[in-house]
Amino acid sequence: MLLVHCPVCGAEGDETDFHGGGQAHIRRPATHNPAEVSDEAQRDYLFIRHNPRGLHFERWRCDRGCGKWFHAARDTVTMEFKAFYGITELPPRELMEAATGEWATYFKDKLKADAKS
Amino acid sequence: MSNKPYRLSQGGSRIDRTKKVHFSFDGKQLTGFAGDTLASAVMANGTKLFGRSFKYHRPRGVVGLGSEEMNALVGVGDGSRHEPNLRATQVELFDGLQAVSQNRWPSLAFDVGSLNSTFSRFIPGGFYYKTFMWPQRFWKHVYEPLIRKTAGLGTAPEGRDPDSYENIHLHCDVLVVGGGVAGLAAAESAAATGARVIVADENPRFGGVADISGGLLDGKPQTAWVADKVSALAESENVHLLPRTTVVGHWHHNYLMLFERVADHDPALLREGAPRHRLWKVRAKQVILATGAIERPIAFANNDRPGIMLASAARALVERYGVSPGVEGIVFTNNDDAYQTALALKAAGIGVRVVDSRGRAEGVLPEKARSAGIDVAVSSVVSAVEGNLGVTAVRVAAYRKGQGRVITERKISCDFIAMSGGFNPALHLWCHNGGKIKFDSGLQSFRPDRHQDPITAVGAANGTFALADMITEASAADETVAKRRTKAAKVKLPKAEQDVQKPLEALWFAPATGKYNEGNKHFIDFQNDVTVADLELAQREGYESVEHTKRYTTFGMATDQGKTSNLNGLGVLSEATGKSIPEIGVTTFRPPYTPFSFGSIAGVLTKNLFLPVRRTPIYQWHADRNATFEPVGQWRRAYTYTGAGEDKHGSINREILAVRHKVGLLDASTLGKIEIKGPDAAEFLDRMYTNMFSTLKVGKCRYGLMMNELGFLTDDGVTVRLGEDHFLMHTTSGGADRIAAWLEEWLQTEWTHYKVFVTPVTEQWAQFAIAGPRARNVLAKLRADFDLSHDGFPHMSFKEGKLGGYPVRVYRISFSGEQSYEVAVPSNMGRGLWNAILDAGKELGMEPYGTEALHVLRAEKGFIVIGDETDGTTTPIDVGLDGLVSKKKTDFIGKRSLEQSYLKGPNRKQLVGLLTEAPTDVLPDGAYAVRHVKDKPPMEMIGQVTSSYHSPTLERSIAMALIQNGRARMGETLSFPLEGGKVIRAKIVDPIFYDKEGARQNV
Amino acid sequence: MSDLYVETPLVHREAPQGLSIELREITDRGMIDLRGSANDKKFMVAVKKVLGLDLPKAPRTSVSWGDVKALWLSIDQWLILCSRAKAVELTAALKAELGSIHSLVVDVSDMRAVLRLEGEGVREVLLKGSSLDLLSDDYAPGTVRRMRYAEIAALLHVVEDSVFDIYVFRSYADYAWEFLLATARAPAKVSLFGAQNAAI
Repeated sequence: MLLVHCPVCGAEGDETDFHGGGQAHIRRPATHNPAEVSDEAQRDYLFIRHNPRGLHFERWRCDRGCGKWFHAARDTVTMEFKAFYGITELPPRELMEAATGEWATYFKDKLKADAKS
Repeated sequence: MSNKPYRLSQGGSRIDRTKKVHFSFDGKQLTGFAGDTLASAVMANGTKLFGRSFKYHRPRGVVGLGSEEMNALVGVGDGSRHEPNLRATQVELFDGLQAVSQNRWPSLAFDVGSLNSTFSRFIPGGFYYKTFMWPQRFWKHVYEPLIRKTAGLGTAPEGRDPDSYENIHLHCDVLVVGGGVAGLAAAESAAATGARVIVADENPRFGGVADISGGLLDGKPQTAWVADKVSALAESENVHLLPRTTVVGHWHHNYLMLFERVADHDPALLREGAPRHRLWKVRAKQVILATGAIERPIAFANNDRPGIMLASAARALVERYGVSPGVEGIVFTNNDDAYQTALALKAAGIGVRVVDSRGRAEGVLPEKARSAGIDVAVSSVVSAVEGNLGVTAVRVAAYRKGQGRVITERKISCDFIAMSGGFNPALHLWCHNGGKIKFDSGLQSFRPDRHQDPITAVGAANGTFALADMITEASAADETVAKRRTKAAKVKLPKAEQDVQKPLEALWFAPATGKYNEGNKHFIDFQNDVTVADLELAQREGYESVEHTKRYTTFGMATDQGKTSNLNGLGVLSEATGKSIPEIGVTTFRPPYTPFSFGSIAGVLTKNLFLPVRRTPIYQWHADRNATFEPVGQWRRAYTYTGAGEDKHGSINREILAVRHKVGLLDASTLGKIEIKGPDAAEFLDRMYTNMFSTLKVGKCRYGLMMNELGFLTDDGVTVRLGEDHFLMHTTSGGADRIAAWLEEWLQTEWTHYKVFVTPVTEQWAQFAIAGPRARNVLAKLRADFDLSHDGFPHMSFKEGKLGGYPVRVYRISFSGEQSYEVAVPSNMGRGLWNAILDAGKELGMEPYGTEALHVLRAEKGFIVIGDETDGTTTPIDVGLDGLVSKKKTDFIGKRSLEQSYLKGPNRKQLVGLLTEAPTDVLPDGAYAVRHVKDKPPMEMIGQVTSSYHSPTLERSIAMALIQNGRARMGETLSFPLEGGKVIRAKIVDPIFYDKEGARQNV
Repeated sequence: MSDLYVETPLVHREAPQGLSIELREITDRGMIDLRGSANDKKFMVAVKKVLGLDLPKAPRTSVSWGDVKALWLSIDQWLILCSRAKAVELTAALKAELGSIHSLVVDVSDMRAVLRLEGEGVREVLLKGSSLDLLSDDYAPGTVRRMRYAEIAALLHVVEDSVFDIYVFRSYADYAWEFLLATARAPAKVSLFGAQNAAI
């Protein structure tokens, strides 16, 4: 039974008070013009997920609290939550840097953009 | 002594000799004293035999001191209160207690199943995987019934459990597991900081083994210190003590479950109505494990005979209960601690000798033993035991570690053995959630190493056995974990004095010599009957990984979770392979630490509380009218109202015909209702629905379809435009919560710039459908204060006003194909309006109708139901609703997926109607259409029936089905083979069976 | 309105003898679900004009003005409590005052059942269905918290130290009532962290 913290309202509670929403930071390709989305891009959006051993980024909802969605960074081995952050936000910089595998690839550009700004 | 041969004339710190307690064991009336355990009381009566083993049905007696007991499992209580598989060492004696031994037939002393033991050479380790494999058909009728009869433990209780159980949640700063000296010291120092502290101990009293461990604290016996600390902690406002409470498991983020036996020990509490067990779900900021250590048995030939106990258990029997384990005993040890047992036995006037496997025994305790006149044989082992239902003699052989099998031996008569192979820290809870452990060569056992959670182990659980070290370590534990000590509330530590013990020498296995090695068993796992030979066999057969060996032999997998067997097994494997124990690895301890009751898990959530049930405001009326209820999600909806002299078929038909020819009334309050408002509400709905909502006029209703991102249908319903920026969405009954969450999710995560608020209001409204050719007349009779004319209030429009004086929202929508109004009224007025409608409808022939009539009515019209015509892989195109999938909108949820090749390919199943050749044949729901009928399966399936009914309107059966390329096969006849060989043939037709033009709802 | 038949969800229920706390339904509780942005000044001003109070911005708090209470439900949602008759008035007044300001006002007086729990040990009774840390200082009077209670969603309002209101959706009223009857039985009373019998 994980102990989850909502960064929006500060509520802390059992995971049964929350709702896990799977992998974070998935962009919906069809929002602007579905006709421009390739079959492969749509397939990846629907079905292809990261499954890292270690640091992972996911979505949660404060289901029995304020009702808001948020992001969490969690270690899939120790189950330790490393950070909770807003649903429209990127993870703290040090976690983007600590990410491995597919997540490292994903955050590479974000880190560059972050460094520029 | 004659009637209590084994009760000593004095001693016994736990028992009250002035209070006699009557109980029965296997039907025999016996007596004991208040404070006895079932184990001590039965043994006081001279009985050592407690049960038969799991596989070989070997006679077994008490081995342990408490929860580690693996043999003496008993059933306690009668009939529906019977509880099997309790450890006799933990069962507190009370007047009237009834206990039975287990796994024996016909009686404990003569057991037919013990033939298994004779034939044991045919059932070695892994036999489950080697035998019973063929012939296949034997499994069901021969092997399984046989195994079920002869294997296993106790029997299940009969009848409904008369007692109550409950759960409770609790948070604390510090949970101390174990109330021995270390636990109490840890609790005292944590409590002094003002922390909220829980101390849980599985025993009825705190103190652990302080009473049988010797040593002094501040010059007094340990028990005096324990009594002081317990009363101080009990007084503290920030401490909660939980005796008789086992911490059964540790999970992520310091979530623990504690099993409290509230009333097992006292039937009076049960009679007063106390819960029998209580399960505590505790979230602790820190956990301190003071779970102590468990003594190890030693593997020697026939080491499972009744009368062979752990040394600590024998000592406790004498000192706590004043019961002698026998007349003449052997203490067999590889360490100094067991000499305390020898001394205790000697002091109680019981004959005793020590057999020590070590080359030298020169510590303080061995010297004390020698001074007391006890014979000590070093470099010796017990290599075999004689006797069957008890011990009659032992063979003692010379032994020197690492020198192989020895042949010189002598026989010593005795009737009990107290053995000690050293102590294992109780690491179960440490390991439940992935704590790492390390091997300690001094202890020859594992100790806690690292843990990701704020948890620490102290005292014997951490491999710290010396009293002074234990107290120092425990007192600092809170600080170690929390790294906080805000209040400078230093606790004064007691001065500890104790005999120093010399190191032990590992001894896993004392092989029998010569003929005693033939056919005799050296048990490692007593509860699952796993022997040294089984482990060695597994190793020879190539099971190199300890995890594989565990599963193959089942060692460590019994209900005791390897408490006394795990390390011994590793030791044997280590010797068999020449690898060190750390190289062999460890197997995983899993929760629970000891078994706990199903009742405590369920708590109060049984019977009427088994499942939350949702009731509409009209529920009681339905029940009073003899409605059958149908579960829809957690709702209970009226299915049909069966009258006198009617069956359900009759009442359903009556209800349907009333709607078709007169008028019907349906409780549709369960429909999901969601208010959606904001400047971007219309655009948002265009994203959510497959069809267009931005073009809907204010005051109008539109039926909408929702897909998920995969392009599959997930919900449908009618949405009403209440104002320019204000909508009311209806969802399916089961989909209300899901869809509200779904809308929120997209607003919060994708279209965050939309200004839209979403508020679910399902339960604010009671909602009824008034449907049938006379529906308008009912409204008129109720003095509707709004225009009822067809032109003034056409199909698919909305009015707000008064009906029978009640404030209502009325939607002219139809799920039956008839003229139909859905009336919504605030829930508290629901019952009032319902009654008013029925009164008004009485002379118009109105009948209430249930969900089954509703379903038949809609099926006659070919309307789909999400979940019937769709199965989570069905698109709007599949069900023929292409017209509701907008071509104009650039994007909506699921749009892009509909273009994926696999959803556009040939052979999709499409919705069609079916008419059976024989009009009286009603196809079963889910019946498969096959390409060719064969004698037996497999047959190629080309589709399935999704809805099927007898239609009283059409006086014949109708069905809908999803059939491959169905729309291109109109007029084709398909075959539906049923179980039993019958084949129903049905013609593919348009799925709209009645009033194809939709004229009836438009009048 | 006098000839209209009105009944609250637990009208057929009366607490039996032998409970460790008092339990009853509160029937005259009007409720308005109010959505709007706490950062929208116009919204906050308009609401204050009607209700006479500043909507609470701090999570899980509540604010009173006369016989009107505002409970914080989310960063953009509040539950306004008042009498049933007043709820109708205030809903209309709020809608009128808010006009085109982005908001949503719904009278939801009939959507929930309100259970009043009262007495020493009320927190312990609730702990048999809730995993919240109800013994901590976080649950002082005035606190509002949505939670999972038994197997359902509920809203908790700490009225006084030993007086709690539990709001559950109307359809679950009987379930919640029966769950409370089962967990508040006097023989199952639990006392936590106080002085205990030392004979253990």
